[in-house]
Amino acid sequence: MNENNVNVNAPEIDASMFNVVGNDAVASEKIIAPRYSYWKSVFRVFFKHKGNILLLFMLFVMITSSIFVPMIAKYDPFENVTKSVSFNMSPRKALDSWKNPTIMKDGKEIESPLYKNGPAIKWVLGTGPAGNSIVYNMFAGARTSLFLALMCAAVNMVLGIVVGAVWGFSKRLDAILIPIFNIISNVPYILLVAVLVYILGAGFWQMVFAMTVTQWLGVAFFFRTQVMIIRDREYSLASKCLGTPINRIISKNILPFLTSVIVTLLATEVPSYISLDTYMSFIGLGMSAAIPTLGRMISVAQTNFMTYPWSFWPPVAFASLLTIILYLMGQSLADATDPKTHM
Amino acid sequence: MSKYLLKRILFSIFSLVVVIAVVMILVYTGIKRNVIFQQDDVWTKKSNNDRTMYEYTMWQKYSYLDYVEYGSFLREKYTALYGDDYANHDDFKEDVAAIQNVEKAETNASVQEFKAKYSNRKIIYLEPIKFSNGKLKPGGKGYLFAVHEKSVFYRLWEYFSHLISIEHKNMVKDENLTERYIRFEKDPYSGLFAIVGSGTQHKYLLYFGGRFPFIHQNFMHFNFGTSYTTYRGQEITTVITTPTGDLNEKMQIYPVNLAAGGPKVSTAIDFHSLQYNLSGVVNPTDKEMFPDNYTVYSYHNKHFSRLENSFIIGLISVFLSYGLGVSIGILLSRFKDKLIDKLGNAYIVFVAAVPSLAYIFLVAAIGQKVFKLPYKYANADPLILAYIMPTISLSLGSIGSLMKWTRRFMIDQVNSDYVKFARAEGMSEREIYNTHISRNAIIFLVQGIPSSILFCLTGALMTERVYAIPGVGGLLIEAINKHDNAVIVAMTGLITAISITGLILGDLLLAAYDPRISLSTDSGGGRK
Repeated sequence: MNENNVNVNAPEIDASMFNVVGNDAVASEKIIAPRYSYWKSVFRVFFKHKGNILLLFMLFVMITSSIFVPMIAKYDPFENVTKSVSFNMSPRKALDSWKNPTIMKDGKEIESPLYKNGPAIKWVLGTGPAGNSIVYNMFAGARTSLFLALMCAAVNMVLGIVVGAVWGFSKRLDAILIPIFNIISNVPYILLVAVLVYILGAGFWQMVFAMTVTQWLGVAFFFRTQVMIIRDREYSLASKCLGTPINRIISKNILPFLTSVIVTLLATEVPSYISLDTYMSFIGLGMSAAIPTLGRMISVAQTNFMTYPWSFWPPVAFASLLTIILYLMGQSLADATDPKTHM
Repeated sequence: MSKYLLKRILFSIFSLVVVIAVVMILVYTGIKRNVIFQQDDVWTKKSNNDRTMYEYTMWQKYSYLDYVEYGSFLREKYTALYGDDYANHDDFKEDVAAIQNVEKAETNASVQEFKAKYSNRKIIYLEPIKFSNGKLKPGGKGYLFAVHEKSVFYRLWEYFSHLISIEHKNMVKDENLTERYIRFEKDPYSGLFAIVGSGTQHKYLLYFGGRFPFIHQNFMHFNFGTSYTTYRGQEITTVITTPTGDLNEKMQIYPVNLAAGGPKVSTAIDFHSLQYNLSGVVNPTDKEMFPDNYTVYSYHNKHFSRLENSFIIGLISVFLSYGLGVSIGILLSRFKDKLIDKLGNAYIVFVAAVPSLAYIFLVAAIGQKVFKLPYKYANADPLILAYIMPTISLSLGSIGSLMKWTRRFMIDQVNSDYVKFARAEGMSEREIYNTHISRNAIIFLVQGIPSSILFCLTGALMTERVYAIPGVGGLLIEAINKHDNAVIVAMTGLITAISITGLILGDLLLAAYDPRISLSTDSGGGRK
């Protein structure tokens, strides 16, 4: 009934009310939409939070200093090993010894072990159990730990993504890898690393191998599931119907979609490897004593951590700060790489 | 359902065997077998052939290989010929001496016989090493033996066939033992009854005792292997279940005096632990205490065993983490984006990102400085104080992760239809949270409970190390550092078995808690 009423009230429309503007062949080929660049949007969202800029700055300072400090000022753990006076000096004593040619010890004036030995900053946190510089040791250790974590994360991610992408498509690979995965995921991880370090030796690359040899399979399994979900989405099916080869579907349709997932995983991988390295060194299964790491420093200092707190807390604080910053940065970056936040 | 379970258990057993096999391959063939002598003083002191022989003896103990010595072959041969006094016969002496001379050894009939008998094994003849004047160098004695290298399958078979031993009355091989039985008896040490055996390995098979779990059994015994470097010659089961600390002396009556009803003596011997003395030689002091051949005993100690220590600390912290983690998680989700939520999130990030080492030591430092708690287990008096800081240290991490997941699941549930419906019905927010959302959110957490309880048995490595608690956690690492192969294999087996069992129990609990979840892949959604 209402429809009838509408018809009655509608105004008269005739051709004289319209102009012919013609057909612009060039314009009709263009799709008008705001320009969208994925990575630009990622950084726009990321830098919108002022906190992220601060985090990035701190991370930059920590990473560059742990790369360049050990390069400029070589860390020598045994430089004062013959001078027992220099062992376990508190920051104040160490700086005192650096300033004065002689120091007082048990009421006697003796030759100062650290007099003008390197720049003053070298002794600002005191000395370790062998008269070594805590500051230099910390940066040298941080360099190893960071490098190890990045290396492990890189190996895991590359192997995991490549194998996971293929695994998501291949039934034959599924039949081989699923039982292997089920068995390997039952082996306690620490045990595996420990046994491998025990067998291969405790060098840097052996450590990378031991830490990643089974872990990439977990990453691959995770990606397999993600790939399977996206594989069956409509746009992938359409692409397949149009005859796109599988490797192109993987590289163009699926992997870009997983960027945010990859970053989320990376955000937890790097700090967790730093923690793992600390843990392994602490229980005595880390890298050999010749390689300075944060974990070894902590494990050496932990027996007397109440009496000589200056050699214990700095590496703990450094490792904690590094992992927290990496973790927070990773979380924000993971948020930023999710296209849903780009609106 | 049961078919699914059976399949799953079979696969679990299969993967357990595979894991143990892999670890055996890694440990026994992956590592040079000479490393076990790195810290061995006996090895350093020995020289020449004696050292080589010692190596083989140790390898046999570590179960790398089996060997038969020429000497024992001769003993067997001549016992058959002459009986017990074979050692006095000249041809025996001659045959024994034969291997101390290279020329004689080649012609001697017994040596040839030995070589022929063990032709399927590797025959090793360590020729005597002499000075130019014909005298033996130190440790230069000649040896002859036949070696059988164990293969992975053989070792695996050996491991599993010895894994479980079940008591029966013909267990002890001793011809002099005439009376063999398993029966109920009145137990003089607990005042209740006990199942007592004769001819069995243990005397008391089932008894009541003062320690948790108060009823104890010796019917079934797990043999995971014997430790050689970390705990010399002790079985791993014994290492983890034997109480630690000082001896706990009590007024008790020796078994030999039981019939007379006295006198009471102060002793720490645990008479429930009596085992049969297989050597058959009972020394005089034991004869004064025991009427029979059950003379191998252990002691009552004041402290808990390694297993109990780890389990107590673990269990308290599991309760703490689930109690606090879940309830704080629910609280955070109720006050989402408020101050309390932000504080909670800061804690979650801190615990997730910072190496656990850092906050364990933070707890240790605060506890020691502020609350004056004992830092090391051995210094604690009373003992209960020693458990406070470890349980807190152990809970912090799991509280954080439980908070995170509970909060996440709760928030996911808030916008679901059934919550909107409950609100529309006029239920209070409190009621909705406590009875509807939390019950659904907890579904995701239920699965982890059995694993976390079972994993208490394997101990917390880090915490136990920091506070120097005698627990199970450090055993594996200690074994790895000291090349104690049997302990490595045993601990791997234990941890793997626990992790597999935990997963299965977790799934079962999940299916029991949430009727919508069906474990088997049959159609019908669990209604079958």
